Amino acid sequence: MSRARSRIPLVRLAARNALRHTRRSALTAAAIAVAVMALVFFQSYIRGVVDDLLDTYARTESGHVRIRREGYAAREHFLPAHLNLRDVTELVSEVARDPEVRDVVPRIRAFVLVDGAASNRPGLVLGVDLAREAGYLRPAGMVAAGRLPAPDRAEALVGERFAEKLMVGVGDSLTLLSQTAYRSLGGLRVEVAGIARTGVSYLDASLVVLPLGQAQVLLDLEGGATELVVFAREPEGADSLAAALGARLGSRMGPLEIRSWREQGPLVHLTDLIGVMIGAVMLLLFGMASLVIVNTMLMTVLERKREYATQAALGMRRGDLVRQVVMEAAVIGLAGALAGAVAGSAVALWLERVGLDFTSASRTLELPFESIVHPDWRLGPALGMALAGMVVAGIAAVVPAWRVARQPPAEALRG
Amino acid sequence: MTDVTRRLSRSAAAASLVLLAPCAAVAQTPAELLRRVDANMTITTAHARAEMVIRYRGGDVRTLRYESWARGTDEAFLEFTAPARDAGSRFLRLGDAMWIFLPRVGKSVRIQGHMLRQGFMGSDFSYGDASENPSMVNDYDAVIERRDTVDGRPTMVLTLTARRANLSYPRRRTWVDVERWVPLREELFAGSGRLLKTVALSDVRRLGDRWYPFRMELDDALQTETTTTFRVLEMRLGVAVPPEVFTLRYLEGGR
Repeated sequence: MSRARSRIPLVRLAARNALRHTRRSALTAAAIAVAVMALVFFQSYIRGVVDDLLDTYARTESGHVRIRREGYAAREHFLPAHLNLRDVTELVSEVARDPEVRDVVPRIRAFVLVDGAASNRPGLVLGVDLAREAGYLRPAGMVAAGRLPAPDRAEALVGERFAEKLMVGVGDSLTLLSQTAYRSLGGLRVEVAGIARTGVSYLDASLVVLPLGQAQVLLDLEGGATELVVFAREPEGADSLAAALGARLGSRMGPLEIRSWREQGPLVHLTDLIGVMIGAVMLLLFGMASLVIVNTMLMTVLERKREYATQAALGMRRGDLVRQVVMEAAVIGLAGALAGAVAGSAVALWLERVGLDFTSASRTLELPFESIVHPDWRLGPALGMALAGMVVAGIAAVVPAWRVARQPPAEALRG
Repeated sequence: MTDVTRRLSRSAAAASLVLLAPCAAVAQTPAELLRRVDANMTITTAHARAEMVIRYRGGDVRTLRYESWARGTDEAFLEFTAPARDAGSRFLRLGDAMWIFLPRVGKSVRIQGHMLRQGFMGSDFSYGDASENPSMVNDYDAVIERRDTVDGRPTMVLTLTARRANLSYPRRRTWVDVERWVPLREELFAGSGRLLKTVALSDVRRLGDRWYPFRMELDDALQTETTTTFRVLEMRLGVAVPPEVFTLRYLEGGR
């Protein structure tokens, strides 16, 4: 029985049938092509956005694990400098001993009042070790004008829009006021060494990057930091790394708050929902394409009613009739899906190179989100979408095919 | 007189300088009560030494000492003298504007924007409290709520509602000592009715022809981290204060 079935050249038959009514086949293929094209692009775009969000969030805020003084997270919106890590050298070495830790960098984060040329405004100070942050905060890549601050001088890198508001440029001086680690008021005069363009809207509008030593002077926190930002070898293992660091450090270093990036806010959890969102869009697009396929295939089977009846009368099994119709739709679907995948990939690859500029839209976003998005195209998911397009086309043809199979041959031949 | 205490007292409707009113046995109308409290704020000049004690929830205590000079209700100069970390930090207030000078910075900076909402040297008293200068009788409508007793003193409880929109505390409830005309307690509310701060004044002493609260406790209801106590150590009224004290040049150059 299986040998008899294998003798029917279903694929060749399907391909030949697909070419009998090229305009109708093209319509079917186009429906799948549009759906696959949109999905290949959409998937690349969303992956680009999510990767951008997670990367920027980890680099500028959370790391994969962040270590702070116990109680800091509850008061985080004040950035309380008195909840700090004093003399971080030992803590940094201890954390770096964990084999899962790629790197650990101390940072100082504080709210400041910045007095510029014409006005004073609230800002955010990030005190960082400029050399060690080359691969993380990437200060060198931020410099839009001027240069990086010298590590041992009272110099600052100021966000581009913040500098505009303060009406200062390279070479001008700023006065920074902030609450110190001792909860009194501290101040520092700095020279603007450079203007920063981070691409992250809220940072460009508020950021003042200081060498770590200068931030320590501002906050009266010699040798200390407000946080240690830990980068894991495997970001997926951030939760277990946080637990391991908790066990490693215990209470020897004082009461600490060790949190993975998942525990620091809803952002990482939200990105987990992206897969669900892509699934929903996929269902919607393929659902719409399926309607077109069902319609065109119904027209096809109605037109070839007598032909199928003859095949049945000559002994073709119902199952083979169904497979023949489904295969025809799948062949058309494959052609459309490949065309859609190629077109979607071309658009995604082009935009991956040139980027999508959301600068004006992102000005109101308080998200760690670089305003130029580069879609992230990958071959596997693009081929997966093409395959899904072909399968959907085949599945959509089941209803018309079933109609063919249930039709009594004699009645069809008479009609 | 300590400017911080006086500013706070006034802004909190807890007038820190209260005229001893011989005919004050009867509280007339609410407006008249407020007029008396406002009148008590009108001084010529004052000099004070005081301390501000900030108690933290974890048990830490921070004590700052300062010296202040004031002329009328619109000019005040204050300099911290201890601890060493804060010594030399100075503040100047002219009307509603306030400047700070930190020795390390060597330049005065006007305090405005979000900084006004921050605690004065980390206390429960905000820079905004220090710079706002409402007139109780002109800026608030008052209603007598009831009579009450605070620390054994007879008081009248007044509910105040702001007449203008830009005041830090649109609603207040004040307990005014009806014999000494000193506010002894105050609750400060947001427009929504949410309690923002509570103020308790005590250790009321006679100072010339006035009664003056030498101790004030302040609690910011929105942050449970701290409570702040102001204690006047020494105060003189009617002292000679050179006019240049109340200038930016003096703020930056010191004495």
